[in-house]
Formats: sequence, structure tokens, C-alpha cells
Amino acid sequence: MSVLTKAAPRESAPREDRYTIRHDAGPRGVRWWAEVGWRHVVGIVMVVICVVPLLYVISASLNPSGTFTGSNRLFGEVGWNNYAELFESRYWRWFLNSFVVAVTSAAGTVLMGGAAAYAFSRFRFSGRRGALTTLLLVQMFPQMLAVVAIFLVLLTIGDVIPILGTNSTLALIAVYLGGALGVNTFLMYGFFNTVPREIDEAAKIDGASHAQIFWTIILRLVSPILAVVGLLSFIATFGEFIIAKTVLQSPDRLTLAVGLYQWASDERNAPWGLFSAGAVLAAIPVVVLFLLLQKYIVGGLTAGSVKG
Amino acid sequence: MRRSILTAATAVTATLALAACSGGEEPAAEESAAPELEGSLTVWVDETRIDIFTELAEEYSAERGIDMEVVQKASGDIRQEFVQQVPTGKGPDIVVGAHDWTGEFVTNGVVQPIELGDKASGFSDVSLAAFTYDGAVYGVPYAVENIALVRNDDLVSDTPDTFDDLVAQNDDTGADYPVIIQQGDEGDAYHLYPLQTSFGAPVFEQNADGSYSPDLALGGDAGDAFADYLGKLGDEGVLDPAIDGEKAKQLFLDGKTPYMVTGPWYASEFTGAGMNISVLPVPSAGGEPAEPFVGVQGAFVSAKSENALVANDFVTNFLGSTDVQLRLAEAGGRAPASIEAAGQVDDAIMQQFSDAAGSAPMPSIPEMGSVWQFWGVTEVELIQGKAKDPAKAWNTMVGNIQDAIAG
Amino acid sequence: MTDVSLASPPRADGKRGSDSHARRTGPGWYVKIVLMAAVNALGLYGVWTAVVVGSWGVAVFLALAVAAADWVYFSRRMLPAKYLYPGLVLLLAFQLFVMLYTAYVAFTNYGDGHNSTKADAVAAISAQNERRVEGSETFPLTVVERDGELGFAILRDGEVAVGDATAPLAPASGSDDGTQVTGVDGWTTLEFAELISRSAEITELRVPFSDDPAAGGLRTQDGSLGFVAAPVLVYDAAADTFTNTNTGVTYTPNDHGSFVSADGDQLTPGWRVGVGLENFTAIFTEDRLAGPFLQVLVWTFVFAGLSVITTFALGLFLAMVFNDPRVKGRKIYRSLLILPYAFPAFLATLVWRGMLNEKFGWVNEVLLGGAQIPWLTDPWLAKVSVLAVNLWLGFPYMFLVTTGALQSLPGDVLESARVDGASRWRAIRSITLPLLMVSTAPLLISAFAFNFNNFALIYMLTGGGPHFEGAPVLVGHTDILISMVYSVAFDSGVKQYGLASAVSLLIFVIVGLISWLGFRRTRTLEEL
Repeated sequence: MSVLTKAAPRESAPREDRYTIRHDAGPRGVRWWAEVGWRHVVGIVMVVICVVPLLYVISASLNPSGTFTGSNRLFGEVGWNNYAELFESRYWRWFLNSFVVAVTSAAGTVLMGGAAAYAFSRFRFSGRRGALTTLLLVQMFPQMLAVVAIFLVLLTIGDVIPILGTNSTLALIAVYLGGALGVNTFLMYGFFNTVPREIDEAAKIDGASHAQIFWTIILRLVSPILAVVGLLSFIATFGEFIIAKTVLQSPDRLTLAVGLYQWASDERNAPWGLFSAGAVLAAIPVVVLFLLLQKYIVGGLTAGSVKG
Repeated sequence: MRRSILTAATAVTATLALAACSGGEEPAAEESAAPELEGSLTVWVDETRIDIFTELAEEYSAERGIDMEVVQKASGDIRQEFVQQVPTGKGPDIVVGAHDWTGEFVTNGVVQPIELGDKASGFSDVSLAAFTYDGAVYGVPYAVENIALVRNDDLVSDTPDTFDDLVAQNDDTGADYPVIIQQGDEGDAYHLYPLQTSFGAPVFEQNADGSYSPDLALGGDAGDAFADYLGKLGDEGVLDPAIDGEKAKQLFLDGKTPYMVTGPWYASEFTGAGMNISVLPVPSAGGEPAEPFVGVQGAFVSAKSENALVANDFVTNFLGSTDVQLRLAEAGGRAPASIEAAGQVDDAIMQQFSDAAGSAPMPSIPEMGSVWQFWGVTEVELIQGKAKDPAKAWNTMVGNIQDAIAG
Repeated sequence: MTDVSLASPPRADGKRGSDSHARRTGPGWYVKIVLMAAVNALGLYGVWTAVVVGSWGVAVFLALAVAAADWVYFSRRMLPAKYLYPGLVLLLAFQLFVMLYTAYVAFTNYGDGHNSTKADAVAAISAQNERRVEGSETFPLTVVERDGELGFAILRDGEVAVGDATAPLAPASGSDDGTQVTGVDGWTTLEFAELISRSAEITELRVPFSDDPAAGGLRTQDGSLGFVAAPVLVYDAAADTFTNTNTGVTYTPNDHGSFVSADGDQLTPGWRVGVGLENFTAIFTEDRLAGPFLQVLVWTFVFAGLSVITTFALGLFLAMVFNDPRVKGRKIYRSLLILPYAFPAFLATLVWRGMLNEKFGWVNEVLLGGAQIPWLTDPWLAKVSVLAVNLWLGFPYMFLVTTGALQSLPGDVLESARVDGASRWRAIRSITLPLLMVSTAPLLISAFAFNFNNFALIYMLTGGGPHFEGAPVLVGHTDILISMVYSVAFDSGVKQYGLASAVSLLIFVIVGLISWLGFRRTRTLEEL
């Protein structure tokens, strides 16, 4: 069994320092190309591949009249009216709704998943392995009838507790949190395992309760993975529309993804320009969040479950 | 109906949407929980008509003193969600949509018949026939739409009587495409239907009252001839599965073709872009008149509406009135279903589209679902020349449809 | 999961005395008490309301949930349960219900034509078959009331006539405006606003048109138009049959949820009934499903497997490429590489579909200078395209995962391999990869399961096409199991939720089994 003396290096990894020793081999020589230069080539090629399809979206968002995939003349016409029009629609209302739902769900997922991971990582109880496997297997159930079933549940609950019924933001968050355990727990579980038990032990000897250990020590030590799970959960709920469009009904309560989906679902005269502008702006919070959290992600994801 | 790109986004889960209350559970409990429903009316509309219906609902609300709630549903989901939510008792009172939902709604028992009385004679025959199922009317029509031949008047000014001549005309015009009929990888039988009917091969037999019987009529010699013709058009490059709706619209806007077979939904974009267009009947390819499917928009009343009285009043007396029909026509760019309103419409293009319509509503019988599935795909195979013997491929398709209908 | 308890007593249980937080009175304790008080209050309120409303399922679930919460949080044992409880409650409420519901539907004939309960079906059949008496007049109608009883008043042959549920229309004295009755002596005329509150009563009222029951009943749907209607099909509740009043044919219910006549004529709608294992046997016996099943199954495995391998390989490769600190601008590269993940997948798929168009797509027209490569319409190329687009959509996730995993690899292991003279490739293959697999295997297995059911991608990119030519069911070369189910059970015109549920259960068994074996093989679970 693994008893790590120190959590896996996350930031300022010592391994990186070792490479710097060789860094003096002349900036643009053959050696540079062999060791570093080609990496830039790969990077540029990949970035182009990543960006080209998105140019269509951006081009459509700037095109006052154009189609979505009808023309390969990107940026033939450029104007800002689609963005201006967003202000006249319910877009910002939806944006706010989405933000609230995604942030709340992300926070809830992090806390609930983290708590579960703590339990699996720190306690030994019967059915523990079975429970872990079950959590993962449950996620693999084909969701064909999920929407049907969820709607029925919410109808039933709504009769008793109206604010948890259909057309409720709170209910939507509850549904999302129903999926909080699962892959996320697994991800965190691996990371929790890398936090040495000696830390718990020491705290326990100092008289800390398990709750104090969890809230004040462990959560702080695993903050990178919390950031990662939070980000993944944010992205997932921010873009989710299949459940959301069934749960939410009033135009003012829709989330961004549902609103955009409805714009795009007009078979014949979909406002692609408006839709694209909305999608471009919708990607911004995700990218910003990623930039903010990148240093955690680079050090965080799955780092835990590797046992040196 | 046709598979659109975005119904796809609905994914399985979405399309399934909602179900009835489980098993033996009776909805008794639900009714007691919603006393506030008294005196309010919920209307479902899709994103294309949300604005006008919100406006109309407010007026009706003021006039009748009843609360109206207009709920927007995505056009890809609204039909299925209605079928699934009505049995739960939580569905809307009224759903606004296309007439070809009628069959599915009736066989699932989610809508109720609407007695129009003397008002029936105020609607065009085709619009009433569209909403008629098994002898009863299930929806109040308000707008009629169909495809036709749209001409770019800046490129050509006279149009031949036959489709072959139309294609040949381009030898002089010299545009990139003689005519555009949108297809896509899975085909588009709807846009090819005028050509098919001109060979005398309608999809189903039509009853005396304009409704359809489930007997397939698209096979036989007429069907074979049409299949051959499709192969020929594919060979000549007139039809191309690579041209989907978006592409077709763009090509016409760019002046790459003098003609396009399309409906009023794009016409407004063409005129908006400053083009001069005329709308004409599709020239015949097989000798008989080329009749497109007529699509009718209207409103259904839920079988479980707790306010059936007001719901009926709203759809028959309010939506059916000439004034409201005119406003709906203006907002939607489709000709009104009311004869009186249609007579008052002052819009040349809308009028020309109406003139190009025949008397064949798109079938709404459930059997039509089995047809759509195979139809477009087979036509694409014919256009691509994948089928060595077009008539044989067509007959295989007819056989498959027959089997699918038989279950 | 309910039997979560501290079985093997590790440290927590060993020092129970000092460990019990319940005795502490720090801020945490107060928070806990407040929270638990709130949970109990809300929970009990919920149970009470549920009982009042008659929603027994909710009542029982809430009662159990509250009891479990108290037990778990006030017990000194049950430590793991304290941390698992919130997630599990929501998981049970939603996820598990989805599974149970699907399983239940799999044993019914739920679908088009069998959409609701028998009571609904009877009501619908009755409503649909009550027709206006042929050739009868319609009347402007006035709703009137006497002693709380509703009645209808019309002008019949210019004379005021009134009647109610029991009394047939009969002449009465009253006033009219030439077309419509405005008042009947002894009756109160109801205004529209008053009609609203008695909507159901009014629409259900039938006033016998004359003493002859066969003449039908006067009714109204909108409160202003009266017409005479007579039922064509009459339901006899005692015998549980429908009888056609014109032909005399009787329809009796069968065990598949439909009323049928002796000669097989069937009334719609039917209702939902259990059909046992029929949906499951249909999967294997029905030609339309069984025919392409094997071919689709193979492709499903290939698609899911290759999707995981390619996304993982590319993600890992890029992670390694940018794991070198000498690469300037790594942060920028990484941020841009994540973009495909930040845009909604359905939007990206839509764009790719357009870009891969045979004639006008950007790939053929611009990139390949006018080539006409049938990316989405050739059986083999379509498969390649589906995999390529999925690679584009999926590699950023793997890139994230492996980037993270690489950081945590012990640097000295790699370094020592280098010093030993192992080639870069060998070092990767025999040291880095195995170490990575330990941490990423569960995610890879999840990814496999996800792609096994990746309906949205297939449906939106190719629609399963190109289709098998002339096949009796619309299934194509890129269809995977779940999209085939969709095509057969829904897109064929008549929706069959029962069949679809049965197949999804089957798919779950397949995927679950594979995943379970996968977990065992990677020994990730063994090491827990």
C-alpha cells in the first residue's frame, strides 16, 4: 500500500527544472528544432484544427444576414447587429439563469462529491467497493427515458413541494446534483488517496474531529481537484439543455443553452446570426474560468490516483 | 415529419420527452393540487410564433377576462411533448402547430374534436381536409403554406410549361444551376413531391373529403417512371444531395440559379435581400399537374383541458375570426385559412404561393411516419445513381414501407 | 448502500471517545444542529403535505429520508454515511428512478396508440366518436341556470326552448334578440365570465333534443354554439365494452390494451398494459431488428473503442508535447486546445457536418481545392469522418486528464529510465504509459461507455447514414446500437417506448458487464 510522504508535486514541479539544464543549446539550432521547435509546429497545427470550425460560428455571428454553413466565404460581411440584437432579446436573462444554475450545481457537486470521496478514501466499511463500482456503473445507464422519468418525478414532487416541481430552477439544480456522484467521485477519490493519512492521524491526535479534518485540512489540501471538478461540472451544466428544456418552461426561467437551442430549432428560418453571437458569448465564461483555473488543472486532474 | 438537423439535437432523451403517469395510477391526486388552474388557459407555441401569440393572448385575456399563459416549446419537441404530457394532466389546453400532427394526436387520444358549425364553410376546403381525421375536425386552421417555383426575375422573365424545358432553358441562361431543389444527405421527399405528383404517383389514395386512406399510391408504373426521372435528373446534375436547405438558399441569393423550389419561409429573405422574385406553379415533369403538399397551421384543444369551454372559444371564435387570421398571416408570411381573410390579403407573393397550391394536404395519418423514413433516402440513392435499376429500387422502397405500416 | 456501516474498524472507530464530534460544542456543532433542525422541519412538513395531497410515494420517501438523516447524523457510528448521505439521496431520487422507470416501461406496450391509462382511452374513444347528428342544425346557444342546475336555451323554429340534463328541450317563455335567447322565465342567464368557472359542467352537459333518445343531445363546446350530437360508440361500463350504435358491433378489451371487435377491428387509442417479455423477445425474433443487429453491434464496439483510443492517444501526445517547460507560450496553446470543449457539442457537430459536405464543404472546396470526396456518404469514409469528428470533440478532455496525470508522475522514475539509456519511446511505453493507465483507466472505461451510447454525435453528423440500400429498416453504416434503436423504435412513425426501453436495458447490461470486467482487469478496484 502506498504511504506517500508528500503529495504529488503540482506546481513548480522539480522535474521541469532538470530540463532547464540543457536549455543552453543555442536558440534556433538543429537541436532546438529536435527538442523544442517541433513542439511549436505541433501546437500551431493543432490550434488551427481547433479553431477553424469555430471560425464558422464567429463569422456567422458577425454576418448580419448570412447563413450558418451555407457559405465558405468567412467574414464576407462584418457587423455587430447580431450582438446588438442580443440585448433586445431575453439573452442576458438566460445568461444570468445559466450562471446561477451552473455555479450552484458546480459548488454542490464539489461539496457532495468531495464528501463522498472522503468517505471512500478514509473509511473502511462493508460494501465500499461495491458502492464505488455501482456509482460508476449507474452513470452508464442509457439515458433514453431519463427525461421522461425525471419529469414524472418532478410532477409528483411538485404536487407536494411546488418549488421543487417543474418549471423551477431549484428543481433543475437538484436534478443536476443527482448526478454529482459518479465519475467526479472517482476523480476526487484518486486524489484524496494521495493526501497522506499521517496528516489525518496527526490532526486526530491533536483532538480534531473527522468533520474538522475534512473541512479544514483535507479540503484545503485537495483544492486543485476541487477546482477541476468544479470546472467540469460548470461546463457540463452550462451547456446542458436536454433536461433543462423539459424542467423549465417559462421563457424567463430558461437557461442559456435551452434558449439557444430553441433559436436553432427553427427548421427553416433559424436566426443563425443571433444564435452564433449567443454561442460565442456563452463560450466566454467557460474559457475565462479555464484560464483562471488552469494552474490547478495542470496540477490537479487525476494526479491523485497515481501511487508512486 | 422530415428529420431536420436540429431535431437531432434533441437526442434520444429529448425526443422521448415525457410520459404518462405510470401504470395504474389515476391522476386524481393531481387535479386536487391545482385549484389555481381555474380560469386560466395554457397555450403551447413554438419559437416561430411566440411573439404574435403572446400578443394575441394578451388581447384575448383582456377581452374575456381570463389568464393566458403562452409557453414556448422548441419546434422539434412540441409535438412529442404534447403527446406525452397531456395524459399526466399537466399538459397545455391548446397547442398550436401543423396539421400533420393530427393523426398521431388522435390515435393517442390527446386532442378532442372541434365542432365548427357554420363556421366550417368559412375555411378553405384544403385547410379543413387537413385537420379532418376519420370524419371529424380536430383543429382550427389559420394559415396555409406550400412550396412553389420561385423565380429570380433578374435572370429570367419567362418560364416554360414543362420541367424538362425549364432545365433546358438554362442552356441559354448559363447559370451554374438550372434549378435548385434542396436535398441533403437524407433526401427531401417534400421538396420533390410536386415532380412526383406530376407523374401521377401521390403518396396515398385520397378520400372524397380530402383526407387520406392508408393505401399507398406511390408505386406502380407512375412511380417507376418517376424513379427513372429522378435517376436522369441526378445524372444531369440537376439534383444534388450535397445541396441542403441552407446551401440552396445561399445559391439562390447569390444568383447562381434562376429558379428554386421552395416555400414562403425563404421568400421573405429573398425580398429582404432586394431580389425581384415571382412565384409560379412548379412545371410538370410527367404530364400531370405538379401539386405540392399543402401544410396547414392551426390550433388543437387538449383532450384533458380543464377549461375546454374557453379553449374552444379561443380557437374557434377568436383564432377563427377574419381579423385575427389576417394578423397571423401578416406575422407568419403564410396565406390565411379563412376564405374571407384570404380575400383581403394584399401581398402578391403570398397570393402567388396560394395559386400554386393544389388540393392535397400533407397526409396526417400515422402511416405517413413509415413513409418519410424510407422515401427521402431512396430518392437520394436514385439521384446518386447508386441504384442500378431505379424502378426496382423504388419498388423495394414501396415494399419496405408496406411492411413498416403492417408493423 | 443502505448497509453502510463501519465494518472493519480502522482508526476512526478505535478512538471513538475522543472522536465523537457530537459532544463538541464548537461552531460546527451549532451549524449541524441548525441544519438538522431545518432538515427535520422541512422533511416533516413535506411528509405532512404529501399525506394531505395523497401522494404516498413522496410521503414514504421523505419519511425514510428524514429518518435516515437523523439516524446517520445523530449516531456516533455511521461515519462514512455522514459524507455519502446528501449525494445518495439525490442519486436515489433521480438517477435510480430513471433506471426503475425504464425497466418498468420495458415490460409494457407504452408507445403510440398506448399512451395512457384505460380510463383515458375510454374517455378519448367516447369523445372522438360522439358526432354531430348528420344534417342537423346548429344553434346560437345560451347557458342558463335554475337552482344550481345548468340548462341550455335555443331558438327552435323561432321559439324559445329550454332544457337541462333530464328534461328534454321544451318550449318556454322568454325573450330573444332574433338569433339568440336573451332570457328565459324562471332561469338565470349566465355571462361568459360565469361560464368559465363551470367549464367542465357545461361541456359535459347534454340536453336531450326531444323525447326520442335517438335524436341525440344538444351540447356546446364553446358556450355559444349549440349543436345536436349523438354517440356512435357507446361505452357500457358494466360489461366493459363499446358498442357501435349504427352497426351493433361490440368491441371488447384484449390483453394488449385495445378494444377489438370479433372480426379484429381495433379502436384507437388503446392503453398501456404490461406485456411481459414481449419487447425482449422482439429484439431477437423480429427480422427488422435482428437483421442488421450484428453488423451494428460490431461497429458500435469499434466506434467506442477507437474513439477512446484515438482521443486518449492524441490527448496524451499533446500533453507530453506541452509538458516541456522550454516550450514558450504553453499556457496559450493549452487554452486554445481546450476550445472544442468550451463550445456546445451540438453546435460543433453541426458545423462539421457543413464542413464535410461533399461538394460545398470547406474541407473539399477550400482545403482540398475542389475535390469531391464523399466524407459523409461513403460507407468507409463516413466511419472515418465520425471517428475524426469525435476525436476533435473529445481530445481536449483527454488532454486535460493526461496533462494532470503527467504532472503527478514521479519525475525520478522517468529520469532514471533516461539515464539507463532507454529510448524516449521505450521510456514512454514501458514506464509512463503503465503508470498513467493506473490513474486514467476508470476515466477511459467511462469514456468507452459514453461513446457506446453517443447517440447525439451519430444522429447529428450522419444520421446513421449512408443507409443499407433497400434494407427493410432504416439503419446505416455508421449507426450504433443506440441510434439503431432510435431509428427502429421512434423514427419509423410509430413510437415504441417499450421496445426502446428493453433495448436500452440490454445495452446497459452489455456496457455494464464490459466496464465491470474492465475495472477488474485494470485492478483499480482491487487496490481500493
